[in-house]
Amino acid sequence: MESEDDMHDANDVESLDDFYSGDAAASDDDERDFDFAKSDDSDDETFHPQRNYTILSEDDIRQLQEEDITKISTVLSIPRIQASILLRHYNWSVSKVHDAWFADEESVRKAVGLLEKPVVDPKLNAVEVTCGICFETYPRYRMGAASCGHPFCCSCWTGYISTSINDGPGCLMLRCPKPSCGAAVGQDMINTLASDEDKQKYSRYLLRSYIEDNKKTKWCPAPGCEYAVDFVMGSASFDVCCNCSYNFCWNCTEEAHRPVDCSTVAMWILKNSAESENMNWILANSKPCPKCKRPIEKNQGCMHITCTPPCKFEFCWLCLGAWSDHGERTGGFYACNRYETAKQEGAYDEAERRREMAKNSLERYTHYYERWATNQSSRQKALSDLQKMQTEHLEKLSNMQSTPESQLKFITDAWLQIVECRRVLKWTYAYGYYLPEIEHAKRQFFEYLQGEAESGLERLHQCAEKELQVFLDAVGPSKDFNEFRTKLAGLTSVTRNYFENLVRALENGLSDVDTHGTCSRTHSSKSSGSKSKGGRGKGATSRYESTQWSCRHCTFVNVRPNTECEVCRQRRQNASATITFRL
Amino acid sequence: MSGGIARGRLAEERKAWRKNHPHGFVAKPETATDGSINLMAWHCTIPGKQGTDWEGGFFPITLHFSEDYPSKPPKCKFPQGFFHPNVYPSGTVCLSILNEDSGWRPAITVKQILIGIQDLLDQPNPADPAQTDGYHLFIQEPAEYKRRVRQQAKQYPPLV
Repeated sequence: MESEDDMHDANDVESLDDFYSGDAAASDDDERDFDFAKSDDSDDETFHPQRNYTILSEDDIRQLQEEDITKISTVLSIPRIQASILLRHYNWSVSKVHDAWFADEESVRKAVGLLEKPVVDPKLNAVEVTCGICFETYPRYRMGAASCGHPFCCSCWTGYISTSINDGPGCLMLRCPKPSCGAAVGQDMINTLASDEDKQKYSRYLLRSYIEDNKKTKWCPAPGCEYAVDFVMGSASFDVCCNCSYNFCWNCTEEAHRPVDCSTVAMWILKNSAESENMNWILANSKPCPKCKRPIEKNQGCMHITCTPPCKFEFCWLCLGAWSDHGERTGGFYACNRYETAKQEGAYDEAERRREMAKNSLERYTHYYERWATNQSSRQKALSDLQKMQTEHLEKLSNMQSTPESQLKFITDAWLQIVECRRVLKWTYAYGYYLPEIEHAKRQFFEYLQGEAESGLERLHQCAEKELQVFLDAVGPSKDFNEFRTKLAGLTSVTRNYFENLVRALENGLSDVDTHGTCSRTHSSKSSGSKSKGGRGKGATSRYESTQWSCRHCTFVNVRPNTECEVCRQRRQNASATITFRL
Repeated sequence: MSGGIARGRLAEERKAWRKNHPHGFVAKPETATDGSINLMAWHCTIPGKQGTDWEGGFFPITLHFSEDYPSKPPKCKFPQGFFHPNVYPSGTVCLSILNEDSGWRPAITVKQILIGIQDLLDQPNPADPAQTDGYHLFIQEPAEYKRRVRQQAKQYPPLV
């Protein structure tokens, strides 16, 4: 344990020196909390909120909603039902309601439909009234009305309310059925007139509206998760960890994706789902029929191609000329003299080059996508391993090594770290894909950092999985267990630090590369190392460098003199404009 | 609303219409060849407003009611190809009060619908175009638009 602490301290000092940023300070805080958890140390830093968001359960949401309604109802001296209608109208912003109401109460009342007195005086009405919906006549007492007093019979009211509730959340803005009357229909009327099922739906919509219409709250996007998140606007990090253990980005509600920014993630996800890759494949592996232009893949056979009906055009695969012009004299079924001659004259260069480039661009994308997807599935595997560890193995291990489970926290920590690292590593592949080809030095540095991260994580994963297995399989207490503890805890801590630095470096757009003088100490040795090694590229990228550029929009690899993409006609962004990874 | 009230309400509307209706308008339920009355489809006529380019025209429109009426609005159709920025090529009228998601209220009567459409004739809503022909002329060539409206009014003379 001592060595672990040493390592922490050393790292902390360094990270404080190098990046006195929020994260460094936070990790320092953790350390203090751990060390002086029970002390009454009223240091400033202990008041820093650990999280910039609150997770809300359904009960929390109802409570907050009730509190807001009470506030408005008390300050404005209006009934709770009216306060609720008012808040809903102003997207549940108490301050907006205050501002609007105190600026011009009358116009607010008019817009929202909160009448102070009925427009129809009930006393003037006869004993019997005609319902404006079914046109039947009813005694006055069997009619209902909103604050405006326009009477409709109860069954028509019920129908009106039910139709509206079943049409969706618009029922929260329900008005009197009389055309041109703006009187609001509140929850009190819903509760007296609607069926139980409809009442439930309505109250559900009301709850949802509190989260969905409010700018500072969102539902957790995990499937089946019932929690909502209340986020403090203007916070540095968008990462949110829900109580259901799902990590997501508050800003774009995709899964957490540091160090990559939201727009890159959106591009990457679109790319993964888009047809553009299919298009590239088709471009690379097929030729269009010269007559009907449908793409044809030649996977076997001779050069004599017959297009499928209804086209049925017969042509030569090589020169794309009609087969009727071919035969023994042009080289037979497996060669084409016309093609050979024309090729020597350079007639096919353009089309061939396009196919070649599409192929390259596809290979490049596949390279990054495969690694991105592999880390994704490794992360899923690590998550289930972690669960298995917590539910089965820890107890077993605790008995076997006669150590309390609380002392085995370092194993859970290691697995949590693995899960987090897989997530980061996964997104570095999206980062790498969009790192401009032209940024030669940055690419090399990035690939070096990524490589190191990968091997560091492999070490940790290996230790947490294989070396732990030995102790799980053992029959009695092992004296090596303490050694193992030190090793795993040390690896966890080292890996955590490395990844934290990696994330920061990537979020800074690898600015170290451009400014060698102010290079951060943590990376200086590594970056110079990567320079000397030089060739540690990941292979697939080197050949696109100087003479070609990859379109940022559709990823097609274009040749250098072109200023716009051959495929999507987007203008090429110059290098300085493309390094905007950080929002 | 229970499906049952559509016919009852339409019968009441028919009664009310016969007692009193705005001048020049016609509204009556469809009569089949065997003489039976279908309350769910009404053949109506809307006169063009005096003093507008629509004056002199008596425009036929059919109102199709569903069993959900008056929870849901009726579908109102001019003849196919009717010239007006807010009428779909099929003849269906696009009007806020006839939209079940926004303006429709169950207390809107046939009389109010017909008067609403009469108002719409001379006051199209350029924010909600439903056909290209009428919309483009209305926006770009007011003179030609006026000519087309007058021409159309002549196409629909009084029935008598």
